Amino acid sequence: MSTKEQRERLELLQGTLDLLILRTLRLGPTHGHAIAKAIELRSEDVLQVEQGSLYPALHRLIKRGWISVQDGTSEHNRRAKFYRLTARGRRQLAVETSKWDKLAGAIARILSPVEQEGQP
Amino acid sequence: MSRRKHLMEALDQDIRDHIERETQENIERGMPPEEAHYAALRKFGNVTRIKEETREVWSFMWLEQLWQDIRFGLRMLATNPGFTAVAVLSLALGIGVNSTIFSVVSTVLVRKPPVKDPDGLMMLFSRNVGAAGSGDYASRSPVSPPDFLDWRAQTTAFSEMAAASSFEDDLHATLAGGSQPERVPSGAVTANYFQLLGVSPALGRDFLPGEDQAGHDRVAVLRADLWKSRFGADPHVLGQTVRVNGEPYTIIGVMPDTFRSFWMFPEQLWIPLVFTPEQLSPAARAQHSLSVFGRLKPGVSEAQARSELETIARRIAVSNPETRKDWGANVLTVQQYAIQESNSSTALAFLMAVVGFVLVIACANVANLLVARNTARRREFAVRAALGAGGFRLARQLLSECLLLAILGGGLGLVFAEWGLHFLRGAFNWNEWSILLAEQLSIDRNVLWFTLAVSAASAMFFGFAPAFQISRRDPNAGLKESSRSATVGREHHRLQNFLVAAQLALSLILLVGAGLFVENFIEEMQEKPGMNPHHLLTASVSLTGANYKDPARQAAFSQTVLRQLAGIPEVQSAAISTDLPYTFPGSARIAVEGRPVPKTEKQAQSAYFAVSPGYFGAAQIPLRAGREFTLTDNAQSAPLAIVNEAFAKKFFPNENPMGRHIEITHPGEAASGSMGTIKWSEIIGVVGNVNESVGQMAPQPQVFEPFLQHPDPAMMLLVRTHTEPTAFAPSLRRAVWSVDKDQPVTSIRSMDRVFHDSEQGDDIMAELMGAFAGIALVMAAVGIYGLIAYLVGRRVHEVGVRMALGASKRQVLLMVLRGSMRMLLVGVGIGFLVSLGLPRLITAAFQDVHMTYRNWILAATPLAVILVALASCYLPARRAAKVDPNVALRYE
Repeated sequence: MSTKEQRERLELLQGTLDLLILRTLRLGPTHGHAIAKAIELRSEDVLQVEQGSLYPALHRLIKRGWISVQDGTSEHNRRAKFYRLTARGRRQLAVETSKWDKLAGAIARILSPVEQEGQP
Repeated sequence: MSRRKHLMEALDQDIRDHIERETQENIERGMPPEEAHYAALRKFGNVTRIKEETREVWSFMWLEQLWQDIRFGLRMLATNPGFTAVAVLSLALGIGVNSTIFSVVSTVLVRKPPVKDPDGLMMLFSRNVGAAGSGDYASRSPVSPPDFLDWRAQTTAFSEMAAASSFEDDLHATLAGGSQPERVPSGAVTANYFQLLGVSPALGRDFLPGEDQAGHDRVAVLRADLWKSRFGADPHVLGQTVRVNGEPYTIIGVMPDTFRSFWMFPEQLWIPLVFTPEQLSPAARAQHSLSVFGRLKPGVSEAQARSELETIARRIAVSNPETRKDWGANVLTVQQYAIQESNSSTALAFLMAVVGFVLVIACANVANLLVARNTARRREFAVRAALGAGGFRLARQLLSECLLLAILGGGLGLVFAEWGLHFLRGAFNWNEWSILLAEQLSIDRNVLWFTLAVSAASAMFFGFAPAFQISRRDPNAGLKESSRSATVGREHHRLQNFLVAAQLALSLILLVGAGLFVENFIEEMQEKPGMNPHHLLTASVSLTGANYKDPARQAAFSQTVLRQLAGIPEVQSAAISTDLPYTFPGSARIAVEGRPVPKTEKQAQSAYFAVSPGYFGAAQIPLRAGREFTLTDNAQSAPLAIVNEAFAKKFFPNENPMGRHIEITHPGEAASGSMGTIKWSEIIGVVGNVNESVGQMAPQPQVFEPFLQHPDPAMMLLVRTHTEPTAFAPSLRRAVWSVDKDQPVTSIRSMDRVFHDSEQGDDIMAELMGAFAGIALVMAAVGIYGLIAYLVGRRVHEVGVRMALGASKRQVLLMVLRGSMRMLLVGVGIGFLVSLGLPRLITAAFQDVHMTYRNWILAATPLAVILVALASCYLPARRAAKVDPNVALRYE
């Protein structure tokens, strides 16, 4: 990846990675690599996730009981660890999403008048 | 635990799987396999760190890492025994002196008395409102019996009050019978005393209500140690009769030994306190004789109790203006009283500050060693950082090594503290109070906690700077830096130089402080006592028993004893006085004939002695004018007085005191002037000044009356011997017992010993300060030596190059010395400036010590510090100059 690409990517806010993982797992249980890919793809490569940092986050969520992990087999009959959203995780996702919407809305409201001032 | 293990294994597999998938994807995109793998790894990030972070999610991680850190730390300490030994020893010294001094603090200031609910137990005092500036004592006066009874009747803040006749010399009881009479510290107490303190007898019972009434009071309670020493711990002691001050008492109980574990309660024997009718008369309100204890009612605060008692005292003052005007009341917890009475808070605060300095110096030493060692370990850290150890993790590793050092240092420090206490126990011997205190000195739970806290704090202190340095360092620099670079970067040395300069400054301050105390002590020792203390034996006799109620019998006893002594060949001369020189004497109020007599409170005071004929000769106090007392100056003759020069100067400036008349009023007596007839005493002699305490700033006025005119049952014997005075003690006892075998002879000490005992611990202060400053200087020297040796070691290559290019040995030596000169001068300079303020600080802190800066201290101490520092620099510098350029250039 080039340096230009890197500059256009955004670092994740603390805690947002958790939200993204929960959201990704909503689509069904999957393994770590697939989660990383999904986040990258769905954000159209804007969000930079150092792939490794996914794992501490996954374990944080396991510890909180929002996701669980189990053995499974993926495509090509490969054994892998599958992460699955728990019922608590599902509720948490709802809470986090609405929190995020509120936050994003608030920040947008604060920022938008500035743009208007720029173009009278 | 097993779930965690399972998850961790899963994680390993997961990460492997992840990277494989990424590699596969890369290959599918057309990368060569090897490149595909590396690209996948790059994208994943630092595997070790990520595993670590994930593991940290599962708590207990820190514990596991701590264990790892400890094992690793122990290994590091073991591989560097020299470093470990110096560091642990420095810390042990620093912590040891702190624990030692804190043991004294704990005993004197922190420990609570062994009574029930010590915080609710108050001591009540009369407070002299009129006596401005006469210090704490005026606010802690004992209470008169009528006041005590009124307070007890009127209080609502206290559930109960008890009184004990205050702890003074005349409250020693004389136990007759047995092989020889014995005097034991004893107290007369109200019947509720023990219940109020909440101490129960180990054997028998304590006093019953009503046993403090006349006629029912012939009962006594012993303390366990007296019971053991005098009665062989006989369980049948109850009911036996013991003679106390000549009167028979029945033993009813034994108090446990724990009761003595507080120095404020020195009594070994108690009898009921019975007030005589004259003690209850209105005039007796001026007789302050009782220690009063009160138990606060639940929910009543100290302040409320104080203000209530103050109100009661004011009421009493209004109705008894002639005796109680200017007298209020004061309330303190027993602990507060103990602290104020010990009068040692200043000295202890001072010593704590000093040992704090010593510890700082020790920590600076260890910090410097650590910085030096960490620089040597730079590559190790760089490798570990590259392998995924975070800056925080590295710093924590270092801090746990420090913690290990601190724990080892603290443990060894406790051993040192035990030695220190052993020394202090021996040194605390100058009065009854200090001896009781010495018995109580121990490493108690407070001291253990303190030591632990101090050790941990020092670990943080000496570990922080080096750890911070490591965590900030860029690992790449460490890997790239070759040990072959010709010179060493300056940045680390700034910290090290700062630490050494601070050590030098602190050592200098401590040395100056020690010098001041030693100087003060030497001055005291060289002080002219005004008498000859050598070959003089002293002893105390307090006549007890009905036989001696009559003053004439007391006078007769003194004459018979002196005649007995005079007949012994070893005795050169013998005399009797009510007080010894260098023991704080009693005082009297003075009025001069022909001058207006001011009100009692305003009347001038003088130290007072009643002395037998031959006293000044025996003590070898020079007679400046007139004559000594003789046998004919007795109760039948006209009242006479002898004064010292300070008295003459104060009361008769530019006049001749000889033949003048003065009135001498004893404490507790109303001035005779108020009755109309004044008993004038004629001054028949003037003698030289003798100090009343060591280190006294100016001679105090003293007045002497003939013992035969004013006999006292408590008398001091002075015997000047031709032989070694202490060897004469048995003969002295025999001489007294040949007159009356029931009178104990106590406090047998040579006058030299009396002199020493009145230093009141000044010698300990000087010794401790000297010891601490010495330790500080040695540690600072080790610190400097270590730093310079280390720097020289780092510069061997550079020195080799210089020498190969033609530098002479001398130039190399100078180069090394010059490099350390700046920190040396800065340290000594700052220390010097700060220590200029010390004498004022000490004089302000200690009321009775007056210190001035002597030139020799000013010159000698910085010189000593500079010499020690230069020597510590010189040794390693000379080694640098001996470097063989060939060896140095090859040196890696």
